Amino acid sequence: MLLLAKVALGITSTLAVGAAYTFHEGLIHVDVDEARPGGTHMHLWVPATVVPVALHFAPRQNMREAAERAKPFLPALRVLSRQLEKYPDAEFVEVQEGSSHVQVHTQAGSIRIDVEEPGETVHLRVPASTIGDLVGELEADAPAE
Amino acid sequence: MFLSKKYYAPALAAAALAAVLFAPLSTLAQSAEKPPKAETATPRVDRWLHIRVNNKESKGEVVRVNVPIDMAEKILPAINQERLRHGKVRIDAEKLNDVDVRAILDAIRTAKDGEYVTVQSNENNVRVAKNGGMLFVNVTDNSNAKNKTKVEVKVPMKVIDALFSAGKDEIDVVAALHALSASGDTELVSVTGDDSDVRVWMDAKNVSN
Repeated sequence: MLLLAKVALGITSTLAVGAAYTFHEGLIHVDVDEARPGGTHMHLWVPATVVPVALHFAPRQNMREAAERAKPFLPALRVLSRQLEKYPDAEFVEVQEGSSHVQVHTQAGSIRIDVEEPGETVHLRVPASTIGDLVGELEADAPAE
Repeated sequence: MFLSKKYYAPALAAAALAAVLFAPLSTLAQSAEKPPKAETATPRVDRWLHIRVNNKESKGEVVRVNVPIDMAEKILPAINQERLRHGKVRIDAEKLNDVDVRAILDAIRTAKDGEYVTVQSNENNVRVAKNGGMLFVNVTDNSNAKNKTKVEVKVPMKVIDALFSAGKDEIDVVAALHALSASGDTELVSVTGDDSDVRVWMDAKNVSN
């Protein structure tokens, strides 16, 4: 009986630590809703920790191509990711035109892009640190000068 | 018992000697480790550059952009595309029609406060003046009698100096931003037109309301 309790405690602790690690960098949210027949409805919640791991296992050739295209912007993106962490709750861009509304802002350390148009809404939320992780992976795959 | 009675006296004496010898040292060390009194420097306040465009057309489009100047200062040097290199923009001397901008600015800088250009015509009114370390440029378009377009630009001279502090055919945007952040809350550009209003200003708020 005692052994069983120890095993249960071990499994629970492992699960708790694993969950804490998985979610410590926050979540990536992607919500797309098109209000028309057959429109897209996508709701994706992914732990941000998964991104660098997934990129690590992505096909090398694809990563090299992506890195080559993104290379001129990587230094700026790296600085941007660091800077965004300094502004955890800020509004950067807002465009309002009639019933259309576009917002780029940060909230609780995540960068948010919200687009609301008649019949279509897109909400994207990515932790600022994930951009840094992404840049790091792309830099590792970028061709040398 | 660690020590027998006969060693008490020498042990106590050694301890006392050690205390006397090392006490000043330890005190000295503590005083050396103490950080020097912090200078009463005022913490740098984050400055934000705000741009607001109000379109007066039917749908009334409103665009608001808020950029922390510190962020712009850090990101710009990392962008090396076309004419923008290391935070400096290369200007085409040919497009300036041989106008020596530096010489003009130098003349304005060394001149006393006052109005330098005043043009009043049926088409437009132009006024260029310097006052209290600020350069003012005001233009009013009189061509449309009903809705006159007004442009008001107010720039600290330090910003202009910083802008042209780079090489001959370059303007140093990062240096200008740095100089701008050192200025107080300022309204930089105001355009009032018949179809849209534009306002560019700087303050310590992170929202443009």
